Amino acid sequence: MKISEVERLKEDLQATVKELSDSYEELSLLYRLSEEFSGLTVDEICKTLIREIKSLIQVKTSVILFLDDNHKVLRTKEFLGQWAGGTEIKKGDNIFWHVLEKGKPLAICDFQGSKWRLSYIKNSAVIVAPLRGKRQDIGVVFIADKEDGQEFYSGDVKLLNTIAFLASLFIENALLTEEIQSFLIGTIRSFVKALEATSMWTAGHTERVTSYALEIARRLELDAPFMEKLRICSLLHDIGKITVPRDILNKVDGLDAQEREEIMRHPIVAAEILSELKGFVDIIEGIKYHHEHYDGTGLHGLRGEEIPLLSRIIAVADAFDAMTSNRPYRQKKALLEAMDEIKAQSGKQFDPEVVRAFLCWMEKSAPVAR
Amino acid sequence: MPKVMVIDDEPFILMMIEDKLKRAGIDVVALRESVGAVERIRQERPDLIILDWMMPEISGIEICKTLKSDPELSDIPVFMLTAKGQEDDEKLGLKCGVDRYITKPFSPRGLLEVVLENLRGREA
Repeated sequence: MKISEVERLKEDLQATVKELSDSYEELSLLYRLSEEFSGLTVDEICKTLIREIKSLIQVKTSVILFLDDNHKVLRTKEFLGQWAGGTEIKKGDNIFWHVLEKGKPLAICDFQGSKWRLSYIKNSAVIVAPLRGKRQDIGVVFIADKEDGQEFYSGDVKLLNTIAFLASLFIENALLTEEIQSFLIGTIRSFVKALEATSMWTAGHTERVTSYALEIARRLELDAPFMEKLRICSLLHDIGKITVPRDILNKVDGLDAQEREEIMRHPIVAAEILSELKGFVDIIEGIKYHHEHYDGTGLHGLRGEEIPLLSRIIAVADAFDAMTSNRPYRQKKALLEAMDEIKAQSGKQFDPEVVRAFLCWMEKSAPVAR
Repeated sequence: MPKVMVIDDEPFILMMIEDKLKRAGIDVVALRESVGAVERIRQERPDLIILDWMMPEISGIEICKTLKSDPELSDIPVFMLTAKGQEDDEKLGLKCGVDRYITKPFSPRGLLEVVLENLRGREA
C-alpha cells in the first residue's frame, strides 16, 4: 500500500470518527431529553424545551408558537429573549405558516433582506422548525440570533429540528393525556349534574365541596397528583345518593331513623357503583370513608390516620357547605358559626391538621363571606 | 501534556473518546482489552483513567479495585462508563472508589468537559 493511500485512509477514518462522535452526541442528547420530558405536562415540556434550546444553541431569542383549535392562528406559547408575549400570527404567506405547512425547518441568515421579513421581528439570523406530532400539527419553534453574533450553521438547523421532533412526540402525548383527563372530569361533572337535577337543594353542592376541598389541600401543600385525585373524589363523593328515593332526599321535615340510615349508606353505595373503575381504588376509598369521624365514632368506625386523607379533607369541606348553604332541613348558619362548629369538632369529627388548614384558608381569604 | 488512559472493548467508543481528548491536546493511551491493563497503568502513570464497566475477562470494577488498593496507584482518578440501569451496581462501585460515573450513551463533549475539569483541578 502506498503511503499516500495510507494517509487518505487515515483521514477517512478520522472523519468517520468525528461523524460518529457527533451522532453519539445527538444520541445522548435524545436520551437525556426523553428522560427530561417524560411525565411532564404540555406547559412543562414547553418550558423545558425553550430552556434547552437556549442553552444548546446559545441563541438570544427562542419562541414556541402553538396552533389554535381552528388552525387559523399561531399563538405564542412560551418564549425567552426579545419577543412580544401576546404575538399571534394569522394564517398566511409568512415564514411560520410556510414551515408548518412544508413540515421542514428553514434557516435564514439575512432575515431583514429576505422576502420573509416582518415588521415585528428585528433579528437578522433566524431558524424556524415545525412541531409536528404523529396525528396532528402542533406549531413551530422559532430561534433568532446567536449570543456570540456568529451565523447559524447547518448543525444548528439539524439540532433544532431533532429536538423539535422529539418534543413534538412528547407534547402530542401530553395533549392526549390532558384531553382524556378533561373528558373524564367532564363526564363526571355531567354525571353529578344529572344527580343534582333530581333534587333542587343539592344544586351546586358538589362543585362547592370540590372547590373547598382543593383550597384546604392547597394549604396542606399536597402535590398535583393528589389534587387531581381529590378533585375527582370530591366531585363523586355524593354519587351514592343516586339510589336514595327522591322524596327522602327532598324531604323538608325531619327524617325518621330508617330514612336517615338510607341516606347515610350513600358512601357505601358509591363504592359499589364505582367498583367497576379499576384504576380508582384510592378515589373509591376516599368516597367510602368520607363520613368517618376522626375519633372513630363514624360510619365504619375508622379512626385517625386509618381514614384516608382524601376522606378527611372532604369531610370538612362537606360539613362546611352543609352548614353554610340553604338546605331544607337546616337554616343557613352564619359563616362564623360554621367555623366555630368545625373548630369545636377538631380532633372529634375532624382531623385537626385539616381543620387548621381550613381555618387558615378561611381567615386569609374568606371566599364565602357575604 | 496530561495523559489519560482509556480502556474499553468497544472499538467505536474507544476511538471516539481518543479522538475527542486528543483534539483537546490530551495525550491518550487507548486499550482494547482489560487483560494486562493494570501493568500498563503502572508503566504509563496516567493522570486519569476512563474505564468501561462491562468488559470480558476482567471487568472495570475489578481493575478499579486493584488500583485503589495499590498505594502507588490509588490516587489516580477513575471515571467509569456504565450502561443504563446499573444504579444498584453503582452503590457497589462507590465502595470500589470510582471517582465519577458516566452513563452511556454519554455526551462526548460533556465527557471532555469533566475530564478537563478534573485535570485542571489537580494542577492547582
